[in-house]
Amino acid sequence: MSLQSSGRKSGRFVLPGERLGVIEEFIPDAGTYVRDGVIHSRVVGRALLDLLNKRVSVYPLVHGAKVPKNGSVVLGQVSNVQTQNATMRIFQIDKKQLSGFFTGILHISDVRLRYVESMFDVCKPGDILRAKVISEKNRTYHLSTKDKNLGVVHAFCLRCGYMLELKRQEMRCPRCGKIEKRKAALDYGEGAM
Amino acid sequence: MSRKPEKLIDKKGLRLDGRKPDELRPIKIEVGVLPNTDGSAYIQQGKNKILAGVYGPRELHPKHLALPDRTVLRCRYRMAPFSVQERKSPAPSRRDIELSKVIREALEPSVFLEYYPRTGIDIHIEVLQADGGTRCASITAASLALADAGIPMQDLVTACAAGKVDNTIVLDLMDTEDKEGGADVPVALMPNLNAITLLQMDGILSLEEFEKAANLALEGCRKIYPMQKEALKAKYVSVKEVEE
Repeated sequence: MSLQSSGRKSGRFVLPGERLGVIEEFIPDAGTYVRDGVIHSRVVGRALLDLLNKRVSVYPLVHGAKVPKNGSVVLGQVSNVQTQNATMRIFQIDKKQLSGFFTGILHISDVRLRYVESMFDVCKPGDILRAKVISEKNRTYHLSTKDKNLGVVHAFCLRCGYMLELKRQEMRCPRCGKIEKRKAALDYGEGAM
Repeated sequence: MSRKPEKLIDKKGLRLDGRKPDELRPIKIEVGVLPNTDGSAYIQQGKNKILAGVYGPRELHPKHLALPDRTVLRCRYRMAPFSVQERKSPAPSRRDIELSKVIREALEPSVFLEYYPRTGIDIHIEVLQADGGTRCASITAASLALADAGIPMQDLVTACAAGKVDNTIVLDLMDTEDKEGGADVPVALMPNLNAITLLQMDGILSLEEFEKAANLALEGCRKIYPMQKEALKAKYVSVKEVEE
């Protein structure tokens, strides 16, 4: 195992609160907390004792409890568009589906590197958008689509609601022929819904 | 339907269901039973059947309830109309609301609330069948559901009750003992930190009796903790081995 070759020992199964050692023998690392000088686990996982660097951490076996962080790539549905801003309901963070949703805001200055005239040329309500969290200040998640693989992944025709097709720079509705504009991601229309 | 029994403890010192005074009811715990939640647990303690599900941390609605420095823990304890012998009205009773609060306050010290500011964690507890001591079984199950949701916690919470029946201090009261007996002391414990998060009493106990009952309940909590551990292990260790 790669964990063992790097000097770590894949340890025993631990629960939250289980005692891992004292601060005199280990430096507490991820998945642990210290109370009265004793290191405890704070998640369900496996205790990793790094005897070389004197570190103790817990490798989590549960992958839950995700909230948007700076730099995380999120997927969501556009709920409202104004000329300067668009709001989005985030329902997936780094490929982890959420049970509820978080609200994020995409400002027009964070859409592309170059100048963007109107937010209505970027996305429309109902579109599925992939974006990156650039700030969590002011109690809101600020998003950015300044990258090739960020932007609209699925868009719907404003007139008939059919899924739009990407034609060079524009979007075309295969059912009613309406031409629309979007800031599309590189893999537009490819991913499963 | 059920008439009051003459004696709650027989000549041999055994209880109505044949248990010794310091014996728990048989417990079965399962973790991760509800795929639509972030974390869930099911507990069967004697005739009690309780489901607990956890959502979150997620954006809190209504938003004005959110706190800038920590997550809001919300708890909802409900009894199904068919959980007791006389149909219970499905509307939340005074007792349901109080138990929701009591359970929330028993779990709050175990969760690192400050890790997820401006969010909410919802705990839902459904009592499918009740036979005394549901608040304790609910705490045990809800704590497992929180751990199953991957929420960072200081410790698991284990709860158990003790009480007085026919002038004997007994562990883990069932419904008839609770109603006909003298007193009931539910206790919730964080076993690794050795900290009590819930301590209630109803009925009348002398100081010595109370001390004896509380210690017996703590002993019961320490007996339930390994079962909680086994339940989590059963889910996660088998999953891990499939991955490898």
